[in-house]
Amino acid sequence: MSRVVTWRVLVAFVALAALPALPGIPTYYLLLAFDALLFGAIAMSLDLLMGYTGLVSFGHAAFYGLGAYATAILLERGVLSLWACLGGALVVVGVYAAIVGYFATARRGIYFALLTLIFAEVVYTFFRYTQTFGGSDGIQGLPDAHLWRGVPIDTPQRKYYLVLVYLAVAYAICRVVVTSHFGRVLVAIRENEDRARFLGYRVQRYKMAACMISALLTGLAGAIYPMRAAFATPDLMLWTESGEFIISVMIGGLGTLVGPILGGAFFTILRDKVSSFVDWYFIVIGVVLVLIVLFMPKGLLGIRRLHGFRQWRQGA
Amino acid sequence: MAAGGVVLEVDGVSKSFGALSALSRVGLAVSEGEVFSIIGPNGAGKSTLFNVIAGLHAPSAGRVVFRGHEITGLPPERINRLGIAKTFQITNVFPEISVGENVRVAAQSRSADSGRVASLWRAADVEVRVTELLESFGLAVKRDELAQHLSHGEQRYLEICLALATEPTLLLLDEPTAGMTPGETRDATALVRKIALQRGLTVLLIEHDMSVVMGISDRIAVLHFGEKIAEGTPEAIRSDARVIEAYLGGADD
Repeated sequence: MSRVVTWRVLVAFVALAALPALPGIPTYYLLLAFDALLFGAIAMSLDLLMGYTGLVSFGHAAFYGLGAYATAILLERGVLSLWACLGGALVVVGVYAAIVGYFATARRGIYFALLTLIFAEVVYTFFRYTQTFGGSDGIQGLPDAHLWRGVPIDTPQRKYYLVLVYLAVAYAICRVVVTSHFGRVLVAIRENEDRARFLGYRVQRYKMAACMISALLTGLAGAIYPMRAAFATPDLMLWTESGEFIISVMIGGLGTLVGPILGGAFFTILRDKVSSFVDWYFIVIGVVLVLIVLFMPKGLLGIRRLHGFRQWRQGA
Repeated sequence: MAAGGVVLEVDGVSKSFGALSALSRVGLAVSEGEVFSIIGPNGAGKSTLFNVIAGLHAPSAGRVVFRGHEITGLPPERINRLGIAKTFQITNVFPEISVGENVRVAAQSRSADSGRVASLWRAADVEVRVTELLESFGLAVKRDELAQHLSHGEQRYLEICLALATEPTLLLLDEPTAGMTPGETRDATALVRKIALQRGLTVLLIEHDMSVVMGISDRIAVLHFGEKIAEGTPEAIRSDARVIEAYLGGADD
């Protein structure tokens, strides 16, 4: 249909938009849908780095958590505007991502992953052990944000639409980016970074820009989260959170954007369902993930695997 | 053949890797529009010289001047944007994207948006150039195949396509016919010569097989153990005593 949106995606969004209109849908499911879409959007943002650029970030939880804290701090001080919260998150996450990106993109492979992880752990430790922002309790009991004066985002429906609009915008941005001149260079970098340099591309700049876009989109998702949960805690920045984003991308399929959205949603719903039955839910999830990796090596929608597994790829 | 002024000047370039001296005080001057070949037995330092010119290695001593700009030690992306493109001895393409996408990403490197913020949303229209390049190398029918599924000979051509797509004025070809059959080698050599003429390119060619370069070179330089031992027309090189000695003496290495 166009570069940005296909009919199938459009239909999916319309169906998602109709979800709250389902007669008698419990609030619980609407909020679960919120979490699923938010997690999906983060996985999609990470896919820009993992699937397209070939960089595995182990520190996306920090972008997410910083976005959440930006909102929490503003809401706590009575700044209720949604736009102020999103703006605040963009600034905070942007500054942090510029620093991390500058150092991490100067290194390749496992060093990139480790640098993003180390920076994220520093941020986590800061929020966990500094009492200014509530320490391990974080910031709790936040008021609802307002779309504009007099329109609070208070009902589950409104919160759901907030995340749906965010997902739509983030998806459109990602689609435009991956189909642009820039997106093609990212893929070239993933495929053969050295050759890309000999074609005249300043590879580090491209990696840096990809990091910034991915981080800012993740930061916005973080900024939205406290508007539904009414809190921000340091656990949002824990490295396991970053690991879950990576797993979601893998489940969904690298380099597909839509795949990671599905992967993130699937992961969120699976975790929610299993954990309502057993405490040791991660063992169950682990088994499911192992099965997916074994029997669907390209993920739900995947077209390719990480580097080093090329032999798995089917014909053209 | 050699018409205009000097395009590339390599002046006293040395390169050592630790105790190993790969190049010692090599000098060359390549003129506008000529096909200049560098030959020598394996290990003579030919690829190292290319890597110094193209920016992969900074030389230990000496300088490289391209069209009046000193390019010694600049990174490969800068050197490419000045108009020098390099192909690789071991095929070095983008394996898991299509042949067409390979050439497209190379071609858009010269579009107006490249390196600018607008490249984040705009897609450069390089269709005409991509099609033209693929056609001239007989790859148009393979356009939608993944690069890794091409035959060896086709990959060698794609390698040259990528370099040409960046619209160089100086093309560095590192053993473009490596691994080809004698028949393919002949065709490839003729094609390279034709394209260089059409595009008014200056070509610097590395070969270890002397017979390939004799037919297409205007001038030839011979490297042996990192030193230039001869330079001249193909006829002069063919009869040069030191060259014959280097090739015969080096036959067992």
